[in-house]
Amino acid sequence: MENLQKELQHTALLHQTRRHFLQSVGFGLGALGLGTMLDSCGPSSAAGSPAGDVAKSRIPQFAPKAKRVIYIHMAGAPSQLELFDYKPELVKYHGRDCPAEFLEGKKFAFIQGVPKMLGPQGHFAQYGQSGAWMSDYVPYLQTVADEITFLKAMHTDQFNHAPAQLLMHTGSPRLGRPSLGAWSVYGLGSENQNLPGFIVLASGGQQPDAGKSVFGSGFLPSVYQGVQCRTGGDPVLYVSDPNGMNRDMRKQTIEAINEINKQTYEDVKDPEILTRISQYEMAFRMQMSVPEVMDVSKEPQFILDMYGVKPGEGTFAMNCLLARKLVENDVRFVQLFDWGWDGHGTSKDHNVEGGLRQKCRESDQPVAALIKDLKMRGLLEETLVIWGAEFGRTPMQENRNGLVMPFMGRDHHLDAFTMWMAGGGVKQGFSHGETDELGYYGTKGRTHVHDLQATILHLMGFDHEKFTYPFQGRNFRLTDTEGKVVKEVIA
Amino acid sequence: MYHILLQDSSWATFIGRFHPAIVHFPIGFLLIASLLEIGRRWGKIAVSEGVITFILLCSAMGATFACVAGYLLSLSGGYDAGLLDNHMWKGIGVAAFAWAAWLVKSDMLQRLMPAGKIIYLPAILIATALTLSAGHDGGSLTHGEGYLTQYTPEPFRGLAGLPPVQAKPAAIKPITDIQQAIVYTDIVQPILEAKCTQCHSASKSKGDLRMDQLALLVKGGENGPAFVAGKGEESDMIKRCLLPENEDEHMPPKGKPQLTADQIALLTWWIDQGAPADKKVAQLTVSESIKSALASLGKTGPAGADKAEQPGMLSIKVPAANEQDIENLRKAGLMVNTLSQDQNLLEISAVNLPGFSDKQMELLQPVARQITWLKLGSTAITDAALPQIARFPNLSKLHLEYTDVTDKGIISLKPLAHLGYINIVNTKVGDKGLKAIAEMKALRSVYVWQSAVTDSAVSQMGRQKPNLLVMNGFNEAAVAQFVKAGDINDKKELKNK
Repeated sequence: MENLQKELQHTALLHQTRRHFLQSVGFGLGALGLGTMLDSCGPSSAAGSPAGDVAKSRIPQFAPKAKRVIYIHMAGAPSQLELFDYKPELVKYHGRDCPAEFLEGKKFAFIQGVPKMLGPQGHFAQYGQSGAWMSDYVPYLQTVADEITFLKAMHTDQFNHAPAQLLMHTGSPRLGRPSLGAWSVYGLGSENQNLPGFIVLASGGQQPDAGKSVFGSGFLPSVYQGVQCRTGGDPVLYVSDPNGMNRDMRKQTIEAINEINKQTYEDVKDPEILTRISQYEMAFRMQMSVPEVMDVSKEPQFILDMYGVKPGEGTFAMNCLLARKLVENDVRFVQLFDWGWDGHGTSKDHNVEGGLRQKCRESDQPVAALIKDLKMRGLLEETLVIWGAEFGRTPMQENRNGLVMPFMGRDHHLDAFTMWMAGGGVKQGFSHGETDELGYYGTKGRTHVHDLQATILHLMGFDHEKFTYPFQGRNFRLTDTEGKVVKEVIA
Repeated sequence: MYHILLQDSSWATFIGRFHPAIVHFPIGFLLIASLLEIGRRWGKIAVSEGVITFILLCSAMGATFACVAGYLLSLSGGYDAGLLDNHMWKGIGVAAFAWAAWLVKSDMLQRLMPAGKIIYLPAILIATALTLSAGHDGGSLTHGEGYLTQYTPEPFRGLAGLPPVQAKPAAIKPITDIQQAIVYTDIVQPILEAKCTQCHSASKSKGDLRMDQLALLVKGGENGPAFVAGKGEESDMIKRCLLPENEDEHMPPKGKPQLTADQIALLTWWIDQGAPADKKVAQLTVSESIKSALASLGKTGPAGADKAEQPGMLSIKVPAANEQDIENLRKAGLMVNTLSQDQNLLEISAVNLPGFSDKQMELLQPVARQITWLKLGSTAITDAALPQIARFPNLSKLHLEYTDVTDKGIISLKPLAHLGYINIVNTKVGDKGLKAIAEMKALRSVYVWQSAVTDSAVSQMGRQKPNLLVMNGFNEAAVAQFVKAGDINDKKELKNK
């Protein structure tokens, strides 16, 4: 230990040459001038506090109804026509050629020529006092029908997974914008100082197609980006102490590094250094807090049964349970990704019959359990649960390369899909929007991705038109220049 | 004379819309020319005649351009004909007299007509007077008549013989008895006056449409009648309101005050009911959704503001808390957030301070009025803290889960008039405590899972107070029941196969 510190000191001294001295004097004077100039126009002074201070909240325009968010993203996009958007007419059209008006001027990811229509594969019925339509794919969700608000006429602009996911989470189909979670923590601050304000959990064997940018911080200070935790094994890699390093030593190391970083910050005033300092401190605290919060072995057996999980698993169900534990510990934004919903009909796992049923069997019970669990702990009122994907699926059967698929499958569809929300100030047992009789277009209450984002920000207390961040000479917002709050769904 | 010169075209409108911009140049030039002339004749300033002549030339040319553009603008229609005529001739007069003044001032005419000089003074005087008058007419055309003097204060108002100020003309007057209100005059007309008639009335009728009288609404504008009685959703005025705001056809135009959803619903309802001129609300069929829209009319606040407040959402405003007091709380390790920009209410949480104890409650006293959300879950507080919490008059949400509070303490919360949400999950509070707090008027939700509250007390409370959510949670048996939900379907699926 002592040796290590001495070595550190020694190395540091070795690097201090006369040149460095002269250089730092030069830079220092320059930075002094530049710093005062930049101070007056930089984001830090505009916000009234260093932009990298995660604990600080920017005061919302209205009192937040949703203090926390659990966003469940089913990457790949499940079929709304099998789960929620009941289209009895489509049964009659099953196997017939798709009407020409649906194809004119349209582009699909895979469909070519004139595809056949595909009838719904699920058996539908109405559930709850609200009479919500759901299929037998989601028997557990049926039990919480009266907590849910459906958005049945969602639409988007992008028909490929990655750009559509970026649009859904960052408001733009291109890289470089902060994600919804990052904006949320930037706005409302992080409450639990021992945990990141924005935590990401992924399941299904693959990361979302758009990669880490869907939970990135874009041009916001990087302290706002989502921190991905692993579900099995060490929740965060390299956060536990290596052999031979005890906690005190780690503490001293981090203090030393932060001291140096602080000096550098004094010199150059780069806010990203503050981010780095706070992340070192956060990582140190996370060594204790993360294993604790991610440890489900202390949960009573009946709670584990409710979600259908066994300790040690890295499944979607486990992520739902962890999401509850995280919001219970005042984590602001928990993002779940579950991969494997892309039901083209190309294989046994990727179709809208058995494959989709299997994905539902893995996810339906834990999602319903999550809502019930949040409710009984008094958390659902303040926690917004969002369920959805990047787009929906076509009422036509996919005919990739003009061939007949081995399984029933549907192509990517951007004109109509279903999402739902629960808790956090949305109506209980409500459905907004309708699609035409074949489920192709929204006919009433069409809700664009930007409208949804505006609504989510509204529920968190922010006017999406006023909640901005200055970058490259202009104020940016999550919804860019679009978006209208869907007032109908707000309780 | 309109039709002989030019026809309405997009070019005409394009140039025409420069009229309001161009028109200010000749106004300015002419005023400067007259001011300089006065100054020169008075002997106060030294300015050569050449300068004034040049400025006069500029104003004459500017006035001519403005006249042409103004004429092109008038072709797009929608203006009060009488007022427009006045404005046009006054404008042409300005140009004519400005040219005349320049001609006699410059040396050109002097040789031909030595006596011309005598008309110089009258010409510049008339041009200036006409400028002011035409300018006023122009303002009236754009903003509506009476715009300039609408807010004249007393006593000048009385002196000028203006009628007394109307209380905010745009505000919709509260209706005392909604059932007796006449739908058109008391509901529809005020909405139209607030949002439509600025551009669709006598002084300015865009698209040839006037919405200030029922008969004219029926007559409609260049796109036909504004509504089809009995068919609200098919009526032009409703369709336009429902279009996305970015569309050109959307009304009111982007940037102008928009109709609220309730207002659109009311107009649609009135048309659906045949657009009667004199029927009262009680004489028409009122659906549930219209009922709530009607209820919002009497209120000054936003629609639906009278709905049962969501637990924890207060509309109260309080003075801002002392910065130093907030800083002290933060130093102690508490999280303090201001709830929203206009209310100054505070959210305080001990999430980072699990050791928070009864003794530290003192810290909160200085911000007693501002605290509205208080989270003391999983802390070391006991019953002794609760009488102090009872002194936070605006408290609306209280988290006490996983603490040692009991019935004895919880009873002391009774004076909290705004408490809407209380979480006593995993505490020792029992049936007696629940009964006591259930009496609190504002209370909407109580979370009692894993407390000492019994199931029978929960179900009894559910019957007694249907508006109060008393939420108990799952036990082993309930989970076993829940888990079965999937089995039924799995069996069904097997059968299908």
